[in-house]
Amino acid sequence: MIEYRNIHKSFDLPVLTGVDMRVESGEMFALFGPSGTGKSVLLKTTIGLTIPDMGEVEVDGISVFRGGKRALEAVRQKVGYVFQHSALFDSLNVFDNVAMGVPEDELARMPRMETAAKVWEALELVNLEPREILSKIPSELSGGMKKRVGIARAIVGRPEVLLWDEPTTGLDPINTAAVERLIQQLSKQLQVTSLLVTHDVEGGLLICDRVAMLDSGTLRFCGTPDEFRACPDPVVQAFVDRAAAEAALDMVLDVL
Amino acid sequence: MNHQSSGALPPPNAIVQWFAGVGRVTHTTFEHAGGLGILFAQIVVATVRLKVSFRSVLNQMYIMGIQSLPIVLVTGSLAGIVTSQQGGYQMTSAVPSYVLGSLVVETIVLEMGPVLTALVLVGRIGARITAELGTMVVSEQIDAFKSLGRDPVVILAAPRVLAGVMVLPLLVGIANLIGIMAGVQAANLTSGLGQESFFFGAQLFWHSFDLGYSATKAIVFGLAIPLISVHMGLKTKGGAEGVGLTTTQAVMFMTLTILILDAMFPPLLLN
Repeated sequence: MIEYRNIHKSFDLPVLTGVDMRVESGEMFALFGPSGTGKSVLLKTTIGLTIPDMGEVEVDGISVFRGGKRALEAVRQKVGYVFQHSALFDSLNVFDNVAMGVPEDELARMPRMETAAKVWEALELVNLEPREILSKIPSELSGGMKKRVGIARAIVGRPEVLLWDEPTTGLDPINTAAVERLIQQLSKQLQVTSLLVTHDVEGGLLICDRVAMLDSGTLRFCGTPDEFRACPDPVVQAFVDRAAAEAALDMVLDVL
Repeated sequence: MNHQSSGALPPPNAIVQWFAGVGRVTHTTFEHAGGLGILFAQIVVATVRLKVSFRSVLNQMYIMGIQSLPIVLVTGSLAGIVTSQQGGYQMTSAVPSYVLGSLVVETIVLEMGPVLTALVLVGRIGARITAELGTMVVSEQIDAFKSLGRDPVVILAAPRVLAGVMVLPLLVGIANLIGIMAGVQAANLTSGLGQESFFFGAQLFWHSFDLGYSATKAIVFGLAIPLISVHMGLKTKGGAEGVGLTTTQAVMFMTLTILILDAMFPPLLLN
């Protein structure tokens, strides 16, 4: 379970102004919102990559900011983070990139063969052929493959929580659908709590148990996908309509 | 009599702006000084706790040392040749020509070898480190390290700083040697000073402390260059433009630091 309490964060201008949100254990939760409303900032506070000016975050009862260094390490060990642009390490090959996802002390004790088996399994889980890509460096991979390697790195340490920061950004509609199916499949298979930040509203509504919408730094909506679609709030409706129009336009452009 | 003429004092907003400017500079200076101090302390802790990968240090030593050798050799040789030629040109009949040997050796060992090698490494290594780490920051690779429970200071900063401290004295030693050898040849060709006379002159004014002085400079510069470049790289903000801006600032910062530290050595160690 992830709980955000009264999160405030400013970068010159206020980005988050008192966000309270709760993601239950085992659920798939999507966070929507226009660009610049602080979705990724909120996600990054979950593992202390961004420190809020005020407020508290708890992951499975562990305080991220009040528990000290050990608590933060414990939280980071529980959480797998999928970055928007994959954030693969340029100088490392796919094997070493994915192996980085194994906790450091575990990796130090683990025989090389066991590490290789874990990396192999993680790559297979994201539908990649390990034999073909293990020795490749990130610059030799396509955008979709980089995303999958990034996901493999996030899941290889068997996290209890997965945070997805716009995992479909920059992908074509076919790859977007494939990655969304993968997110759903992995979340169920690994029985993790998933928090998905995405611009793909239709995709998010399809695969998530609950959704929320951030607007101007505050939580505008939180509920089920059906409640979201039926929400009378004009801001939410405008966002849903705009997202649907953008999705239709993307589809037309893709066909053309 | 009007004592309140508008031209007598600068307008208040100019004074406020001046104080604001001083405040910004002071804030930036303390911010960098504090950041460098914290980074240095974190590197010392990581090193003492044996957390730094020996393989990473060796890899950085190879990049900083072996790959920088050609440019260091060229710089060292040219420094020796120029010093020897200009020294020979300034010699008059009142000064024995063998004094040129001392002039060249002391200038190379005390000043030219360490400073020129450091300035070459500012451009070759310092800029590279800042740009590399800056790119890692803007592409979220540093965040990825943290999210995976890895400490960027242990993995990225410490190996570079340790390698710098170990490599620069070696490079300075090589630059000194090649500079002196080139100086000997240049003295022979341009001033007709033989090798024996050159080294006779060099021995006359030589103190064994000079070598330690040169090595101490090299160690301090070898610490300053990677420390500043790592610090600046990790503070990068924005995208490609941010990386470019931070790299330029880092090169200026490192160059000034080398020259200021160099100016501090004589009063501290030579008097």
